[in-house]
This record gives sequence, structure tokens and C-alpha cells, in this order.
Amino acid sequence: MTIKSDNLSGAVRHRARWRPNGAQIITGMATGFLVLLAFLAVFADWVSPYDPLRQNLMEALQGPSAAHWLGTDDLGRDVLSRLIHGCRIAAIAAAEATTIAVLLGVPIGLFIGYRGGMWDWVVMRIVEAVVSIPGIMVAIVIIAILGAGLHRAMIALGILFSTSFLRLARGVVLAEREEVYVRSARVVGASDNRILIRHIFPNIAPPLIVQVTLTVGAVLLAEAGLSFIGLGVQPPQASWGTMLNTAAAFMDFNWFLSVPPGVAIILTVLSVNLLGDVLRDSIGRGIAVAVTPDKPAQRFAPEPVAAEPVSLARRADEILRVENLQVMVPARSGGEVPVITDLSLSIARGETLGLVGESGSGKTLTGLAILGLLATGVRTTHGSIMLNGRDLRELTRHQMEQVRGNEAAMVFQDPTTSLNPAFTVGSQISEVLRMKQSLTRKQAWNRTVELIDRVGIPRPEERARAYPHELSGGMAQRVAIARALSCNPSLLIADEPTTALDVTVQQEILDLFRDLQAEFGMAILFVTHDLAVAADICDRIAVMYAGEMVEMADVDPLFAEPRHPYTSGLLSAMPHASDRMPPLPTIRGNVPRPGDWPVGCRFSDRCDYKIAACDARIPLVGTERQVRCIRACEFGMEAAS
Amino acid sequence: MTDNPLLEITDLQVTYSGRSLFGFGGKQFHAVKGATLSIRAGETLGLVGESGSGKSSIANAVLGLVKASSGSIRFGDVELASLKTRYPPAIRSQIQAVFQDPYSSLNPSMTVEAIVTEPLRVHTSMDRAERRARAVELLKLVSLSEEHLDRHPHQFSGGQRQRIAIASALALQPKLIVLDEPVSALDVSTQNQIINLLYERRAEFGIAYLMIAHDLALVHHISDRIAVMYLGHVVEEGPSDRVYHAPAHPYTRALLDAVPLLDPQAQRQRRTARKSAPASDAPRLSVSGCPYQNRCPHVMSRCRSEMPPAYAIDGGGTASCFLHATETCDTVRTAKDKESVVS
Amino acid sequence: MLKLIVQRLLALLPLLFIVSVLTFSFTSLLPSDPVDLIIGDTGTEEQYEIVRERLGLNEPIHLRYLQWLGRAVQGDLGSSFFNSVSVMGAVMQRLPVTLSLTAMSALIAIVIGVAAGVAAALRPRSWVDRFATIGATFGQAVPNFWFGLILVAIFAVNLRWFPATGFTPLTESPWEWLRSVILPSIALGTSSSAAIARQVRSAMVGVLQQDYIRAARAQGLSTRRIIFRHALTNALVPVVAVLSFQITVLLGGALIVEQVFAINGLGTLAIAAVRQQDIPLLQGLVLVMVGLVVLVQLATDIIYGLLNPKARPS
Repeated sequence: MTIKSDNLSGAVRHRARWRPNGAQIITGMATGFLVLLAFLAVFADWVSPYDPLRQNLMEALQGPSAAHWLGTDDLGRDVLSRLIHGCRIAAIAAAEATTIAVLLGVPIGLFIGYRGGMWDWVVMRIVEAVVSIPGIMVAIVIIAILGAGLHRAMIALGILFSTSFLRLARGVVLAEREEVYVRSARVVGASDNRILIRHIFPNIAPPLIVQVTLTVGAVLLAEAGLSFIGLGVQPPQASWGTMLNTAAAFMDFNWFLSVPPGVAIILTVLSVNLLGDVLRDSIGRGIAVAVTPDKPAQRFAPEPVAAEPVSLARRADEILRVENLQVMVPARSGGEVPVITDLSLSIARGETLGLVGESGSGKTLTGLAILGLLATGVRTTHGSIMLNGRDLRELTRHQMEQVRGNEAAMVFQDPTTSLNPAFTVGSQISEVLRMKQSLTRKQAWNRTVELIDRVGIPRPEERARAYPHELSGGMAQRVAIARALSCNPSLLIADEPTTALDVTVQQEILDLFRDLQAEFGMAILFVTHDLAVAADICDRIAVMYAGEMVEMADVDPLFAEPRHPYTSGLLSAMPHASDRMPPLPTIRGNVPRPGDWPVGCRFSDRCDYKIAACDARIPLVGTERQVRCIRACEFGMEAAS
Repeated sequence: MTDNPLLEITDLQVTYSGRSLFGFGGKQFHAVKGATLSIRAGETLGLVGESGSGKSSIANAVLGLVKASSGSIRFGDVELASLKTRYPPAIRSQIQAVFQDPYSSLNPSMTVEAIVTEPLRVHTSMDRAERRARAVELLKLVSLSEEHLDRHPHQFSGGQRQRIAIASALALQPKLIVLDEPVSALDVSTQNQIINLLYERRAEFGIAYLMIAHDLALVHHISDRIAVMYLGHVVEEGPSDRVYHAPAHPYTRALLDAVPLLDPQAQRQRRTARKSAPASDAPRLSVSGCPYQNRCPHVMSRCRSEMPPAYAIDGGGTASCFLHATETCDTVRTAKDKESVVS
Repeated sequence: MLKLIVQRLLALLPLLFIVSVLTFSFTSLLPSDPVDLIIGDTGTEEQYEIVRERLGLNEPIHLRYLQWLGRAVQGDLGSSFFNSVSVMGAVMQRLPVTLSLTAMSALIAIVIGVAAGVAAALRPRSWVDRFATIGATFGQAVPNFWFGLILVAIFAVNLRWFPATGFTPLTESPWEWLRSVILPSIALGTSSSAAIARQVRSAMVGVLQQDYIRAARAQGLSTRRIIFRHALTNALVPVVAVLSFQITVLLGGALIVEQVFAINGLGTLAIAAVRQQDIPLLQGLVLVMVGLVVLVQLATDIIYGLLNPKARPS
């Protein structure tokens, strides 16, 4: 997993987020409303037009009027004034209860999370017990002990909501203490307190802030609820909850009484929750920092690269022919960035083509693009993908579903995540057979057991009933291969199928691919970062670098005589390429991220053979054997030695 | 180099206990079942094995991150395995580590300066300016520069992050650095940069490395000695070249043979030759005898009942395999005996 | 299956034990002396001692706990301090009312929540998603009892479609029962449906990005099958895990919403008990509610085990 997607993530990962401008508007409105509330709470005595407690029974239960903008209640008190004074109660309530909850919950949560053992067990059982009683009932019981009233009710709510802070703090500690950086801190010799405060605590801040906003909202609702049933704020004091209590009693006479306090509660809770949502989205993991400013401005023109004429030789019995493929991904800064440009390749029946490259080279995306499995937002913009004479890019979604599984199938890198954890492995294979081949349940199951047997799994009937997590990585990958081959596809795309496995298991899986190919005769597109694996399994190899193919050749000549400086650099950097002590041969620098590619030869920044002409686009030349380097003929021979 | 080992691990066992319904007791998992290893000052020991072999558990035990359930870990004159509390600062500062995943081993909320100088804050009384000056020196040692000090980890590539982790490990000039798969998460083209860097710093400061890896070829480049683990046992140990070129244990040989050759023709030949080996589908755990018996092509009846002792191998080192049993030295050797064979 | 149920049941035992200890021990935390409450200001020293003896308050606390627990297990929760009515009887009489409300609102919350969550997750950032997200955000901000008031104003007072107050038992007339619980259940279930919709959406979005979904697509399975069989099965796992919490919230909310609709359920009983410091009644209420919650927990645990093979005992 690490090898596959890391470099991409920086420049390319696109977070599904609400329209950024919309979010800003919402944040602004929510913040503005809360500031207004705070202002009203502080200056309630000056702002409100009447004394909230002054009764005037002559004017009871009036609707809105010039004198009383929001009307009067059953005792003729001005609703607007009571509403404004209610802000103060709401502010005090939220602050009090939330503070108590944080001060009580966070330290205990941190402590039991880091300590673990008995303390953790006992405290968590108590928390579970408290949580299993409906919150309002817990509050009622605590109020029974303490007595009714605003402050007592808020202590009750504080105790109640402290359980969520306790669980949050404990959860973060439990997650973070397993992180490698905490292990690093322990190796450095930092004390427990130091690790807790300096290393773990900063990571609690983001979820804690979010939880605070959620709690403020929940406290406001709970306070209103308690006051409504008469256990919170006591009359005649004005709180939104007591106002609703009054309103409920006079619903038949003046239903409008219930509107002002209700709207006040909704808008306040809504504002607080919206702020919480925005905070949750913006403070992800770690501290938000501006995106690296030191990178040169985007060097790659985002418009498509002019398609080269395809010089690739036609092969007899060609199963797959891809021409001028271009794939774009959404960029973080907006717009799109190409990740694969002008890629052409072909595979014949019974042949294995290796697609080799490092992270960010676009090799995995090539496989996904062929099957039309690109993630949302990532799209193929140019080129044709001919499978058995049909262009897959022209097919409808339904036709494409028919192709997948029947004509082309795929095996993924991590077998333990590419099988659905909820179903037995056998049912996942037989499902494909029933859906794609219209076999009956019984036929499908028998065929499934045969297939599981065929991929070398002992006791196939028993294993067919196992769940994915009950199998070792090697076994799970065999199952995934059996599923991919269940409908006898003519093309199999294998995306790093052995990378997650141990070497001795890798060897068995490679043997299995070879045996199955001899039997079924499918063409294989084998995606890997490991040249040695490619040497073992492939007939031909295409080397990719920064979204384009830099070299393609039959396997023997490629290893004997690499023509592109990147290929030869990669070959000599393989751990078992040499037997020497360091310094080992290296390729200087790093793989450039998509969007950061040089305009000319994309390898030129790291190449020892760079000349001025390398700053222009370099074409891929050759038919059987292709290379994208203007100095290929000059240096090819010496570099291979 | 002195004759006294810097780190000496004898009969180390590490056992994890699973949690049961009520949080106590439960099943036990033996990760390391009696490992004996030693590293001299300035030496690199490569510890190789597949997933589940127990190699990372040994690293964690040496670092004091897990408790040894029995056996001894001697660092210089200090017995670490029997320490009831955390390592005393004098020991702690001598043993540092670099972990596998550079994306999670650096605290995302700290700056590079804070990460690199954290050991200095804990162990020295340097003031802020001194620490910053030292941080710049340390970054230079790993080919990074002062401009990187105030950035956060997510602004760096995997290789650069690993350099930062190394800078932090070098801060206290330790005698031993445990490298837990330091390059396996990196691209091939950046792996060797890190290997070269580690090698240069070792030569410069005389640090000893315990390097954990799954790739024998990779370890071979940088190690003086190599130990191979299988299911919690050290099955072979010896000088790097001897283990790599003349593996004595069938498992070491299988491990080497499983890595495809870079020469497709030679690889084809090797493939046809190996076809007969039994599959790894056999149950891996065995109750008694040699841990490798179920996958070994040379298995004998004796392997099923007896645990093979460590036999001395020509060219140095030992292998725990009855294939190397001779009438004269058919005895279990202690760590001392092994040393005499090696030197 | 049986093994799963037994295992989950065993895991819930410590919970019940701790709740019973907590419930019992809060009697000694109450500020007022129950004996004083009963005999009032005019009681003599003698009366005081008699009542104290009758209530068993002279025994050591752990013995009192064991006696109380022993009786509670047999269904005897004591009798109210004030009218000597059996607590169990009083609670059982009101229970069907609150239970009807909770069950109906849970049904509404789950159906609306899951449907909206799935619809939103399938097309992130489409208008369906926006509508659902805005709806969910609003739904979580509206106090359920206020929503109840508004529903009464519109549908009962103005339109007269439903009764404004009161409760008809299911056994009396199923149709009238439905009419009497529908408004309070909508008032109560809305905010929970919003919470469930958010959870379903985020779980579903997460699951749809998993490798096994991509693998199922690579296998050419139909979109509908992938969504409803492969994705939803896994997305419901985290939702079910917190479902019992949502139902607990509904049970609590029912206590308040009952007041809006003047329904004589456990809520009214609880408020009266607090006002009068009626300890046995409060204890009984808490225990019965926890009993309900434990049953719900057991049910969701079993569903969780069915959805998630990793949670099953091996």
C-alpha cells in the first residue's frame, strides 16, 4: 500500500468537500450569529426594551405589535426581552456544562488511556453503565440529588457529557500510543508525562474542539428540555426552555409564543454545529499548514500533450491494444493535472507484459483506466483501449459491466482488503459465476470448489466456507486469483499482486500465474515496482516514469542492455544487482510529483547524461523495442555493464 | 573493535498475551522463542526473516518497548531484560532507533526542529539556541539543510522523512541504533541513498547497527554479520558474506532462492530446477522439533522430535540444522563457544 | 449463533451489576432523609425509629444492597414512599406507552436515516447529497419537544388529522394507537434519523473507497448488487454498533416528548418521582430503562455479529 500511492497523495488527493465558498459563507454566518448572541448575553440589560420580569396582565398573550415586537406571554411579559435575557442563560449554561464536561472527562480519559490495565477497565465499565441509562434520566437522577435550578442542572449535564470527552480522550490516546512516533519518543527516553503532554496531547486538540462544539449544541438542547419539564431553570427566570414550557400551556390561545424561543434554539444549535462541521473538515490530522510554498510554480502545462503517432508494432493475436492513453486527476489547487500521458501498449494472447515503475509513475492507474475503474474525479481524456477489437472507451456503463469479469479481470495488491470481509470467500467466487455465467447456485458452488482446488489451496471445500480474515495473505491472494479467472477472461490485470506477500509466498504465486496462463492462455498485464519480479514473470517489459513510458523491450534484451538511463539506474539500484559494500549506486533526487514534471524529458533533473536538447519533448522511438531518450544509442551499451 | 560484545542477547523469549472477555488472561503468542545474538561495538548485525518471524519483537525488546519474558539482553555491563523500570537515561541515550514507516514515525504536529532536537531536550541541558545549532549540524549529516528546520513532516517525501528520523537518532551520538526495516517503504531509487547514508555515518561515528529487514540481499550490503529468523527461532547466524553466498540452513537457502534473479535466463534455469520443492501450504507451526520441518525438503525423522542445536559452520557462524551435525561437535553450544568459533 | 448470544449476554453482566450498584448507591447521596420525608415535620423520635426500621435503614449498606438486589431480581422493586403502590406495577402500567413511542420513532429514524444516508453517499456533492446533508444538520438542531409543539399546532389543532393529546393502547384499537403515536414519534425520531443519516453516509462513502468494492467492480458485478450487497452490508456495521446508543437517546427523549402530548408514560412518572424524592420509584425507573437498553444492546450486538464475521466467536 505504501509503495503504491504515497507520492500521488500530496499533489493529487482530492478531498470531497462542500463548495469551499459555500463553506466560508456558512462559517461567516454562523460565527456572526454567535457573536450577536454573545453581545446580547453581555448587554441584555441595556438592549432589551422591557424588564423581562415585569408583568402586565392587561396585555397578556398578545401577538406581535409595535410595542411588543414578539408579543407578550401569559403574564403580559415582553417576549423579546425575555428572549434576549434567555441568551444570557443559554451562554452561561453552555459554558458551565461544557467546561465541567471537559475538565472532568479529558484528564481522566488521558490517564486511563495511557495507563490501561485495571484503571481503564473499571472506569470504562462505569462509563458504559452511565451511557446505558438514557441521558435525560441520568440528569433527572443527578437533579434529584442536587435539586433543581440552572447551575445544578448544568452540573448534572456536565457530569453526563463528561463521558463523551472521557471516551474521546481515551480513544485518541489509545490510537496515538500505537503510532510509531510515540514509540520513537519512548526510544528517545521521554517520560510518560512528557509523551502524554508534548507528543499525544497536541493531536487531541482537533477532535476536542469539534467535540466541544457538538457538546455546546447538545447542552443547549438538553437545558431547554430540562427547563421545559420544569427541572432546569426555575420560573420566573427567563430561559428559552421555560418560555417553551409556557408556550406549550397556551398553544390553543397563542401558538406564536412557541416560535421565538424555538427559532432561537434552532439557530444557535445550528450555528454551533455548523462551526463544528467546518472545523472537523479543516483541521484534519495534524496542524494545518500552508501547502509547500517552495515548489516551483506548476511546470507542466495542464493542457493535453499532443498525441504522438503510435509506432508500436502490431502483434499477432493481439488481445489488448492501448493507444495514446491520457489520464487526468483533479489537482488540489483546482483544475486538473495529467498523471498518464500518451501511453501506448499492446499484449497478445498468452503473453505477459510487465508495467514497471516507482510510486507516482502511473502504472497502477493504467491498469484501473483500462477497466474503467478510476476513482471519482479521475478520468481518461484521450486515447483508445481496444480489447478483443472493441474500444472500451466507447462502451456504455452496462456494456462495460459485461466486459469486466467476462473478458477482463483484475487482481489487486492487498489480498486481505480486496476480498469483502462480510462474506465467505467461496460465496464471493460463486457470486461471480452466478451473475456473470448464469450458473445455478449448486453449479456455481461446485465450480467454485474446483477453482479453489485449481489455485493450489488444500481442502478446498472447507476453505471455501472460510472468511477472508481467516486466511493467510498467500491463501487470500490465491482466492482472489481464482475469482478473477472464474469466467475465463482473455485479459488479466495483476496490480502488484505479490508486493504484500513474503518472498517465499511470492515465488509460489508467481509460479501459479505461470501455470494458469499456460492452462487458460489469457494475456496478463503485470504491474509491479520490482524489476526482479518482472524479470521472472514477464515476456516483455514497459518501464514507466512520471506518467509516461520511457522504455519497452523483450525481457532478455531489456536486462542485458537497458537503453534508458532510468532503466539502467533502476537496475543497478536493485539490492541484489551487486555484491558490493556501500556506496551503492543511486539515482539522485526524488520521483517528481504529478504537476511537477519537467516540460522536456521528465527524468532530466536526475539524469547524468542530460544535455540542452533534453529540455524539449522527447519522442518514444522504435517499434519492437522502444525508448524515450535522445542519447539512447550513445550510452546504451556502456551503462548496461 | 573490542572483544566484548556491545549487545549480547541470550535465550531471549518474548511472549504476548491476548486479551480475553474480561481483559485479563487469554491466549499467549510466543513471538520469540529463545534467540541468542550479539553485536560488537561499531558492527552491523542484519536480522532477516519473513513476517511473523519475530525479528521486530527482538528490536522492540532491545529498545525496551516490550518486556522480555525470559532470557537476557546485556548492553555493555548492564542487564536490560531484568530492569523493572524504564531504561535509565544513561542507557536510553545510547540506544536509538529508526522505524519502517516514515509517514507515521514522525509526529505530524511537530516541526522538524522539534523532532530532531527532542532527544536533546530530554537528555541535555542545552538552551534553545544551542539546540537549534545542533539541529542544523544534524540535518547536514543527513544531507538536509537549515531551511528545512521549521517545516512539518507532511511537506517531505518518504526518503527525506527517513533522513529526518536518522538525524534525530544521531542526535545523542548513540552506540547502537536499531534500524527496523528502514528502507522497505521507500522507492527503489531512494533506498540506496539511505543505505549509503547509514553506512557513511557508521564509519564516521563508530555506531553499531541492529538492522531488521526481510530482504537478505539488501542487508548483505551493509552488515558484518547476518542472523536469519524463522518462527521465533534464530536458525542461522554468521559473517555476512558466508551467509549470503554459502547459506547453511535450508530456510536461508529457500529465502535466497525465492528472490528472483535480475537475469531472466538464469532465473528460468533456476525455476526449472526448483519445481520439486513442497508447497508452503503445510501448517507452519509444529509442536516439537525443528520449526522448519514442515517446509524443509531435507526433513529427517529426527527433525520431527528434536530441536536442532546450533552447529558451527565452515566459514564462520552457526546453523541450527541436523544436516550439519557431526559426531565430534554434536552438542548444544553456548554463546561463548560460538564466539570462539567465529574469532 | 447460540454461542454468540451467550457470549454477548455474559459480556453484559458486568454492566448490569455496575448499574445496579450505581442505582442503589445514589439513595445514600440524596440530600434529604427519606424518613423525614415520610413522617413529615410532626413525626416523633419514636415514629422516626419505626419508619427507619421498616425501611431497613439500620442495616449495613452492603447488606441492604444485597437484599434490594435479591428482591429486584425477583421483580420486586419495593413500593413508593408516598402512596405505597408497588413500583413494579406503576412502571409496568406506563411502560407500553413509552415503549410504543420509542419503537415507532426508532423505526422512523432507521428507515429515513438509512435511506437518506445511502442516497447521499452514492452521489457525493450531488443535489441529493446536499439536500440530505442540510436536512440532517437542521434535524439535529431542532429540539424534539419544540418540533412536537409545532406538529400539534399544524396537524392536530389546525388540520385535526391527529389527536393533539393522549394515548390509545394498541390492544384497544390499533388504528387509534397509530394515530396517537404518529406525531410524537415523528417529533422524536427526526433528530435521530438525522444522526443515523450522517453515520450511514460517512460509513458508506468510506466503504465505497475500499479495495473490495473496486475488486467487485473489476469482476463486473452490477452496480445495484455492489451497493446493496457488498457495500451496505459493511457500511451498516459501524452504524449498528452505535444504534443501541441512538435508541437509548430516543428512550430519554420520549420522557420529554410525552409531556408535549400529555401522554401518561414513564416521563410523567419520573418527573413526579424527582419532585417528591421518591427513591424506590426512581430506582425502579432507572433499572427498568437499563433493562430495556440492555435488551436493545443484545439485539444490536447479535445483528452486529451477523454482519461482521470478525466479531463472531471462533
